[in-house]
Amino acid sequence: MSHLARLDWLPVLDRKLLRDMWRLRGPSFAIALMIAAGVGMVLMSFGMMRSLEATRDAYYDRYRFADIFVTAKRVPRHIVADLAALPGVRLAEGRITAGALAALPGVAEPINTRMHSLPLSGRPMINDLVLRQGRWPEPGRANEILANEAFVQAAHLGLGDVMSVILNGKREQLQIVGTVLSPEYVYAIPPGQIFPDNGRFAILWADRDMLAAAFDLTDAVNEIMLRVESGTDRADLIRRIDTRLASYGGTGAYRREDQISERFVANELRQLKTMTTVLPPIFLAVSAFLTHVVLSRLIDTEREIIGLLKAFGYRTAAIVFHYLKLALLLSLGGMVLGTLFGTWLGRGLAVMYQQFFVFPFLQFRIDPDLYALALLAALGSVMSGCLFAIRRAAALTPAAAMQPPLVAHYGGRIAAAIGQMRGLDELTRIILRGLVRRPLRTLLTAIGIGAALALYIASASSHDNVERLIQVSFDQAKREDLMISFTEPRGPDALAALGRMPGVLRVEPLRAVGAILRHGAATKREGITASTPGADLSRLVDIAGRVVEPPESGLIVSTALARSLAIAPGDHVEVEVTEGRRPSWSAHVIAVVDSPIGAPAFMSIDELDRRLGEGARLSGAYLAIDDSQRDEILRALRDTPKIGGIAIIEASRRAIRDTIAETMGIMTLFNTGFAALIVFGVVYNNARVSLAERSRDLASLRVLGFRKSEVAYLLVGELALLTLLALPIGIGMGIALSHYIVDTFSGDLFTIPFALTPATVARAILVVFTAAAGTAWLVSRRVGQLDLVAVLKTRD
Amino acid sequence: MTNGTDAILTGEPLYRVEGLTKTYGSGPTAVHALRGVDLEIGSGELIVLLGPSGSGKSTMLNILGGLDAASAGHVWFDDADLTGCDDRALTAYRRQHVGFVFQFYNLVASLTARENVALITDIAADPLAPEAALAMVGLDARLDHFPAQLSGGEQQRVAIARAIAKKPRVLFCDEPTGALDSQTGILVLEALQHVNQTLGTTTLIITHNAVIADIADVVWQFADGQLVDRRRNRVRRTASALRW
Ligand SMILES: Nc1ncnc2c1ncn2[C@@H]1O[C@H](COP(=O)(O)OP(=O)(O)OP(=O)(O)O)[C@@H](O)[C@H]1O
Ligand SMILES: [Mg+2]
Repeated sequence: MSHLARLDWLPVLDRKLLRDMWRLRGPSFAIALMIAAGVGMVLMSFGMMRSLEATRDAYYDRYRFADIFVTAKRVPRHIVADLAALPGVRLAEGRITAGALAALPGVAEPINTRMHSLPLSGRPMINDLVLRQGRWPEPGRANEILANEAFVQAAHLGLGDVMSVILNGKREQLQIVGTVLSPEYVYAIPPGQIFPDNGRFAILWADRDMLAAAFDLTDAVNEIMLRVESGTDRADLIRRIDTRLASYGGTGAYRREDQISERFVANELRQLKTMTTVLPPIFLAVSAFLTHVVLSRLIDTEREIIGLLKAFGYRTAAIVFHYLKLALLLSLGGMVLGTLFGTWLGRGLAVMYQQFFVFPFLQFRIDPDLYALALLAALGSVMSGCLFAIRRAAALTPAAAMQPPLVAHYGGRIAAAIGQMRGLDELTRIILRGLVRRPLRTLLTAIGIGAALALYIASASSHDNVERLIQVSFDQAKREDLMISFTEPRGPDALAALGRMPGVLRVEPLRAVGAILRHGAATKREGITASTPGADLSRLVDIAGRVVEPPESGLIVSTALARSLAIAPGDHVEVEVTEGRRPSWSAHVIAVVDSPIGAPAFMSIDELDRRLGEGARLSGAYLAIDDSQRDEILRALRDTPKIGGIAIIEASRRAIRDTIAETMGIMTLFNTGFAALIVFGVVYNNARVSLAERSRDLASLRVLGFRKSEVAYLLVGELALLTLLALPIGIGMGIALSHYIVDTFSGDLFTIPFALTPATVARAILVVFTAAAGTAWLVSRRVGQLDLVAVLKTRD
Repeated sequence: MTNGTDAILTGEPLYRVEGLTKTYGSGPTAVHALRGVDLEIGSGELIVLLGPSGSGKSTMLNILGGLDAASAGHVWFDDADLTGCDDRALTAYRRQHVGFVFQFYNLVASLTARENVALITDIAADPLAPEAALAMVGLDARLDHFPAQLSGGEQQRVAIARAIAKKPRVLFCDEPTGALDSQTGILVLEALQHVNQTLGTTTLIITHNAVIADIADVVWQFADGQLVDRRRNRVRRTASALRW
């Protein structure tokens, strides 16, 4: 302690403080680590979330992402100016948007494309593009296009490559001159699907006149985007727009929040928030607990000193203050470490997610209020942790403190019961009585280790859940090989023609219409899917994998839709179809189904045809094909007129897995690390305290001829028992946490089933046991360093 | 009784100590706890070690007991040189042959009297039953009491029972009566003497109380790290006859 010799200028109590700090460096290291993790987590998760949200908002703002979208069949160009003049509208811009199929040289699989016209001026005023590579098309060069970067990369294309696109039956050779990002395609989700599939879905921006000619839209547009003043009543504006466009085949205006990419981004950010905000409270709770253990033990051993100080006239306040200062000092290192670590990790994660979302830039910032919040939370956890211990110190009277501690008493029924147990060796008895003597500490330690287990289970079970989601969606629900969508509804002969193609084993009709659903004041734009009873390829399946047949009449809705419209079976909803003759009716809600993917509203084809009054119509078809003729079929379909999209189900299955695996992989990796960290903190702290409390017993046993390994068993055995005790607690908490995460993850895009597997639980146990064993080994090495002679000289 | 004692003394020495030195630290601040001690301990002898505080008694006992390493010199136990042993071998030596009794009892607080003894009998080759060991020190009535429920003297007798239960060849006692009043101290000494006589356990007792020397076969006097005097008692008194 010679390094402390120069502390003469400090009051004696403060010198004691510093020496205590030094002595407690082992346990306080564990506390500091937990606090660092807690502070770091708060900064990281909130910092990252705020940064990502700020980045998204800045991106949308800078590139003027539309507030409202309107699609219609054909709107004369001058109407766009009319819309711009509506109150509250800042800017309106029209464009031509169309679905098309494209081919790449040497590839049989068709590329689903969406074409957007570029304004004559070159750059869109609304939904502006971020040019990543190449250049903007030269005005007047009809064959030059921009393509979204994600597609170009996933399809291994480059600048100068040519795509052959079939525009309304006519083949055009279009050359990619630039790659772009667009705020409306942060996620590029192919029509009729709900997950990105970048290699097979291209968004192309092309010359306006070329598209106008191809789609017969000279001097007209079929999509209008609007930017509105903040504070505008959007619902009212949408009503005005719909009225204005009704005669031009408007299919209903919708807001940015209903735009598919933004829905996906919002969903993703919400999930991220759930995952990241689960952690900080766990760490703060653990550090509170560790502080409690360390300080209680310190105050136990210092009873006599406290009594002495009080007897000599120190006031209680001075003693309380002394231990508060100690607790604060213990946590200081953690706070500093956590601040640095959190800022660093927050930035790292934000950069990672920026790349994941493909935002063109990142606005990373941690505001001072976040630092204040994180440090206050840490302070709160430390203070609550030392509350009980310090209260005990304050309550000690000098006389009581001078008496030998009562804690050495091991009577009691449980202790006696342990004595009755046969076949128990004495070392195990020591362990058991030690655990029983401090039931609260034992329980909290087990809960602490259990928290780590829970964290791992909850994050790793996401993987199981996604697997189940995929299984239910594809093995049960989407069993077709190809999903064809027509450019516009067609009659039954189209289906028959598909069925006659060589290699096509089975065809079933696909019918879907856009609709607006209303119940009370709630309104929702959704697609209605229709099918025939007994369909074999594409079926509505609930989350448990049970097939749901379409009702003879009425509507089946998803849980998410039912929630947002506040409807239950037996209610009626107003349905307004936004296509064709735009019929509307009041539909009876037959059932609410928890369906894993899509199909928010579901009815029978017969009823829909009757309502639409156009005879039997199809929007597309489901195909089961002979796999050996796959390439020929795909080529033939690609060249068939009036087919606007071909989804290859096997590919979407892969795409879903990739998309979800990417997000979840990152979180699972992090959480494995954090689970191990919690185990280390709790186990290390417990082992160090136990070692300190037991050092006399341990050294005595060594003197009596017990081997190091036998003596270490006292420590390791205790930890093993605590870890065993933690298993049921942790698994229980893990299942609860997993349910919570599943609930918050399931949005209106999909419902995630709960499908935790025993293998995941086993892996969690393995992770926790490995971390506990490593930590126990670290501490048990100290048994070899016990001073056998010193322990004989002193009284307990 | 004198005859019996003589018969034991004719045996081979259990320990031989040659030039035993122990130095703590180095340079000008070095403490020479033992400065070249030579001695022999006969099997079955009861030895009392006297000497002023700091004279090296505990150091001597700790080295003999395999708790501490000498700086120089040799300690032979039978034919084994303890000074060359590593920690593993010393642990085995303590485990098989040595019993300890200390001033502060060093009982495990979370085990009852019986369990504290069983702790040792569990790892011994041919032990006494814990109950029998406790009976030898007169504690058969307090088997299931925890240390905190026993008096100091009772705790010390549990410690003796624990030490002798494995029938060790040698028993080292460092100030076993140091924390006890005279009446209780005599009870403890009676127990030690009883064990020495009935089991023939070689016993070494450190004490500051010169009166206790009367129960010994041999009395050693330590001063300043050296054995300055050794005498053999013609008559051993029984512990119950002692007064201080
Ligand atoms: N770990 C140590 N470091 C330095 N010096 C030590 C250490 N242990 C003992 N000593 C010194 O060695 C000398 C002998 O100590 P020892 O404990 O053997 O004395 P003792 O005869 O048992 O005394 P007492 O009757 O007071 O117990 C003393 O001067 C002591 O200060
Ligand atoms: Mg001594």
